[in-house]
Amino acid sequence: MRRFLLRRLGLLVLVVLGIVTIVFLIIHLIPGDPIEVMLGETALPADREALRHALGLDRPVLEQYGRYLSGLLQGDLGNSIHTRRPVAALLAERIPATLELTFASLLIALVIAIPAGVLAAARARSWFDRSSMLGALLGVSIPNFWLGPMLIVLFSLQLGWLPASGRSGISHLILPAVTLGTALAAILTRMTRASLLEVLPKDFVQTARAKGLREVWVLMRHALRNALIPIITLTGLQCGALLSGAIITETIFAWPGVGRLILQAIATRDYPLVQGCVLVFALGYVGVNLVADLLYAWSDPRVRYN
Amino acid sequence: MRQRALYFLLFVIVLVPTACGQGDQNGLKILTVGLEANPTHLDPRFSLDVASARVTQLVFNGLLRKDRRSQIVPDLALRWEHPEPTIYVFHLRQDVQFHNGQPFTSADVAYTFRSILDSTLGSPKLGSYQVIQEIETPDPQTVVFHLKEPFAPFLAQMVAPIVPHQAGKEIAHFREHPIGTGPFQFEDFRSDERVELSAYAEYHEGRPKLDRVVYRIIPDGTVRRLELERGGLDLVVNALLPESLKRLATRPHLKIERAPGTNFTYLGFNLQDPILSRPKVRLAFAHAIDRAAIIQHVLKGLARPARSLLAETHWAHAGDVATYPYDPDRARQLLDEAGLQDPDGPGPEPRFRLVFKTSQNEVRRQVAEVIQAQLQQLGVEVQIRSFEWGTFFSDIRSGNFQIFALTWVGVLDPDIYHYIFHSSSVPPSGANRGRYLNPEMDRLLEEGRRLLDLQARKGIYDQVQQILAQDLPYLSLWHSTHVAVMRKEVQGFELYPDESMRTLKDVDLLPGPTTSSSPIDPLANPLCQGCEPLSRPS
Repeated sequence: MRRFLLRRLGLLVLVVLGIVTIVFLIIHLIPGDPIEVMLGETALPADREALRHALGLDRPVLEQYGRYLSGLLQGDLGNSIHTRRPVAALLAERIPATLELTFASLLIALVIAIPAGVLAAARARSWFDRSSMLGALLGVSIPNFWLGPMLIVLFSLQLGWLPASGRSGISHLILPAVTLGTALAAILTRMTRASLLEVLPKDFVQTARAKGLREVWVLMRHALRNALIPIITLTGLQCGALLSGAIITETIFAWPGVGRLILQAIATRDYPLVQGCVLVFALGYVGVNLVADLLYAWSDPRVRYN
Repeated sequence: MRQRALYFLLFVIVLVPTACGQGDQNGLKILTVGLEANPTHLDPRFSLDVASARVTQLVFNGLLRKDRRSQIVPDLALRWEHPEPTIYVFHLRQDVQFHNGQPFTSADVAYTFRSILDSTLGSPKLGSYQVIQEIETPDPQTVVFHLKEPFAPFLAQMVAPIVPHQAGKEIAHFREHPIGTGPFQFEDFRSDERVELSAYAEYHEGRPKLDRVVYRIIPDGTVRRLELERGGLDLVVNALLPESLKRLATRPHLKIERAPGTNFTYLGFNLQDPILSRPKVRLAFAHAIDRAAIIQHVLKGLARPARSLLAETHWAHAGDVATYPYDPDRARQLLDEAGLQDPDGPGPEPRFRLVFKTSQNEVRRQVAEVIQAQLQQLGVEVQIRSFEWGTFFSDIRSGNFQIFALTWVGVLDPDIYHYIFHSSSVPPSGANRGRYLNPEMDRLLEEGRRLLDLQARKGIYDQVQQILAQDLPYLSLWHSTHVAVMRKEVQGFELYPDESMRTLKDVDLLPGPTTSSSPIDPLANPLCQGCEPLSRPS
């Protein structure tokens, strides 16, 4: 287990390093100049060059990359070109909001998807099964940029129950979390159902029933636990989609997370800030998938990490 | 049962407060204003964006300011003298204090402009003040500017916000916690969430009627509209989609005010392009684009056709320039004369193909689509390429385009023509993005910034506008109409031509019957308060 963890952590470092490198090169390759954005069009060429030199942007890209990497290894993410504030401080302001939104969405998705998927599998081809699959199809088909405003119209404008935008308490979290979690809930519902349908005819399930266990117990303790591995895998992978979906959801609901920060950073060609945001997303994605790998053993004791 | 009651209680605690709107809370008069973007800088020496300006306009004052008719009037300066063409002397108010209690003096003025001119600070406004040679402060109430050469737009540049001279040292975190002399003082800024300002009781023109102004940052236009409808916002200025106004007009608690604005939208041509360098092609486009139709259908009437960059309310506006009525037949004829015949008449083969570059702004893309359809009628195939802003602007600056549409905002002084059309203003040193090169234009623009007599300058800029209307390096499209949507309780808000929020100083929240604040009469002759009217490029 320890060796597995160490190996995965080593891989994590490599993956993050690869992502940081690719993003660094891409952001420097795309058109656009941070100095132009900062100084506007009135600046004199000499002033542009002075600022470019002060920020180290006149150095070769490889040298800039080396400096960035060296800072990164020492835990220094650099300063935002545009605001001059430390990238770490800017990220620290935003990460809680994004984590809050992502975890709430994940929670909503799991709370909806697992019971719905289990029930749909247990009552296969019933009205509940058909309607939940129809709901899942709708959920996966509706884009966030449409669902979000629709939820605002219904729950905020018409019913007046929930705030439309901003971040100031649990009530503000509900609509963005539902918007972001709907597609994941839909996918997980289908996956749970499909995975359980494969497990239910197996002998150990029949044996559990023959022992006289209650059906709920059979489903939850025996069948579902054995069906969990694909669900965990998919949840881990979809967390990446949640993070990228957060960019749209954060914009719709004026949610001050990393998603909006990276949009602004790209628009202003704020290289260190883009790098910092990508690093957060990459670490989040890789970290969640590592947790998913570790959960395999919990869900299925036959899994060995050596 | 007890558990259910507990859950219900939790639900009520969590949800019910959210249903409350803004406005008069706990006896405080709070105005919540919607912003479409996050302010990038709260220190006005660095900010160029509209969102930052909306905040700094309330926190700071300049030596001079623009009034409701965009005339330059005194602000922190009581008056000014102009003893020589290169010397300006400003006499300052004595009754002004910064929000931290420090008195406002000439040292603050000198510090503000010296710091901007210090290239190590990295202010984007440095280039605009290069004409200043020296700043003297003979006493706390007098500041003298020595210029390198006569520079007519100088007074217009003195609207820049003044920061305290301790901003560089004693005042910690000035960039995050700005201190000014304005009617509202800074309280809190949560990035991408909100900016909170409170009334400054010692404001030299009297305490504002509002207790607080809260800017809420809501990037999505639809959500801003929904927040207005549900009462989460009290006021939104020029940040709503045109099509949403019809619905908002039906809401009983809202009112809509419109006023002519000075923002100028144009179609830019690359004059180094082999096709667009032909004057007859540009002339054909001027006849082929039905601006009235675009204004009516895309902009929902929120603009008026433009003849030149300067709005008709501007003192230097030339009314007698060439105009081009919508006439597709004439346009086809001009293209034929330019040697660009349609190879197969009404057939599918175009006369030529063009790329129209635009940003991802929704309205901008709709406008591009209409222009594409209108040029299609001439047999010109237009491909629309929509880019993220940084890429789009980079392409425009580097001359990597054929046609594009953009808007100039906050135009005040006609010297902006130097910045856009002088041959020395080809990027990276200016905004002559279409690479328009005309020695006669250069001569006029150099003379225009040296002359200090207003009538003489007007004569120069009349000629400039006439030449531009003939040469068509830009095709003037329209001047926008400003729109403010607000709760009916919001009283006293005025739409300034430059969209300034300074008017919030006089705004009050009053319940009951409403009296709409009077819109500006753009054609009224303004009373200049002992000063010459000027404008400022932005």
